[in-house]
Amino acid sequence: MHRLPKEVRGWIYDFFYSGHSIAYLKIDAELRVAAKGGNLDHYGLSSLRIGKPIAEQLEVMEGLLPCPELPFHMGMLELPGGRVADLHFFADDASVWLLFLDATAERDNKQRLQQKAYEMTLLQERERQLNEQLQATNEALRQSQEALSREYQRAEALLLNILPASIAERLKAHEKIADNHAEVSVLFADIVGFTEGARSVGPVTTLAILNYFFKAADRLAEKYGCEKIKTIGDCVMVVAGLPTARADHAQALARYALELRKAGSRERFAGEPLRLRIGIHSGPIVAGVIGKRRFAYDLWGETVNLAARIQTSAEPDEIRISDATYQLLGPGFVCDPLAETELRGTGRVRMWRLPA
Amino acid sequence: MLQKKICMLGGFSVGKTSLVRRFVQSIFSETYLTTVGVKIDKKSVVLPDKTVDLILWDLAGEDDIGSFRVSYVRGATGLVLVVDGTRAATLAAALTLRERVEAEFGAMPFVLLFNKSDLVDKWVIPDSEIDDLRQRGWQVYLTSALTGEHVDDAFLQLATMVTK
Repeated sequence: MHRLPKEVRGWIYDFFYSGHSIAYLKIDAELRVAAKGGNLDHYGLSSLRIGKPIAEQLEVMEGLLPCPELPFHMGMLELPGGRVADLHFFADDASVWLLFLDATAERDNKQRLQQKAYEMTLLQERERQLNEQLQATNEALRQSQEALSREYQRAEALLLNILPASIAERLKAHEKIADNHAEVSVLFADIVGFTEGARSVGPVTTLAILNYFFKAADRLAEKYGCEKIKTIGDCVMVVAGLPTARADHAQALARYALELRKAGSRERFAGEPLRLRIGIHSGPIVAGVIGKRRFAYDLWGETVNLAARIQTSAEPDEIRISDATYQLLGPGFVCDPLAETELRGTGRVRMWRLPA
Repeated sequence: MLQKKICMLGGFSVGKTSLVRRFVQSIFSETYLTTVGVKIDKKSVVLPDKTVDLILWDLAGEDDIGSFRVSYVRGATGLVLVVDGTRAATLAAALTLRERVEAEFGAMPFVLLFNKSDLVDKWVIPDSEIDDLRQRGWQVYLTSALTGEHVDDAFLQLATMVTK
């Protein structure tokens, strides 16, 4: 400093003194105020008393002295009056000098900048937290969607087990299903002597027989493009010509009947070959789904009733068909005529027997 | 006159200034105002056998705790470690600050405050973690500078510890 000209030193002194409100304290080895001066009023410290312990008068000094690392700088200390000071400590023999330089404006500036920076950091932290939560939520959602999709596929599979695929599709689209089909063939088949046979072989064997019979009915329905509509006790009801119409519904169902009968003859029931009684009739029906929770796809109409009556009138091992079905079969199927028979609720009916 | 220097330590925006204001002046401001530099407050605490003036050093919570001036803690007799219960990373920051202080000045009494306990929805510190810390014999408090919950308890506990 002494290398600078007096004028410059003077200017620097004025600059700092007025610009930074310089004040000082001198602390002796007993940590008492030894001297004070400068603009202490600016910091609200003009009442500090010489000879009294500094820590009792200026709380920030509690415990700070003696300080082994002098000079020491404490930046931006806010004093009780609200002014902010940069505090410089430096040693002089046994004494310590405290220099106060006003830093209120710098502190306020720095606070504004720091505030922005921290707010930004907090926002980023929050964003990261929210993103993590979002990812976790998405993952949970994905898993429940997968579970839902598995459930859906299961439900779908179950639905297809009880309804024709095209009907199931329409039902899912909330359509009401009641269709007129002008031309279908309907078959009924049951087991001859079922009640007596069941009594003699017991329930387990009976169930096995029924299982064999209905599985064969299912398998052949798939083979010949027919639909198994339902089973009633030991009786199965099968239709050809729906849900999609086909011109050869009678032929398809006739072939179905022949092979179903053959399948029966390969199994034994109560010590004899499993014999069926089969009836077929062709005509118009109404098909639809009834029920809301337990769906049942079923057929209604005179054609259905007559097919059932023809079936009950059939002899063991016989495939008995109506005249309407016979007319549709054409020359490919040679049938034996039967005597006109009185059927309950219908009157006299002309029927044919479909040989092997 | 008995007076004890206490330092508030913790990451930024964990609530050090708000806790001091709640304890000293019983007020809370929703506005976040970051502390720059050093701010000193004093509060007389009346204990069963004595009265002590706590000189509370509210130190700027650095973003980068490496830049924390450990030398400011010289002469302190106790620490208030402050964690923001809605930001998990602030626990590590508080513990690191304590380690740095102890490396310089040796072990000293402290209380550990998980602050912002009113923000239940955003709370991220599991109870098990708090239990673990208590198992170590630490004085742990769930505080809210907003409601004042457990704030006085924590400071009184520390006052008792530093005057023993």
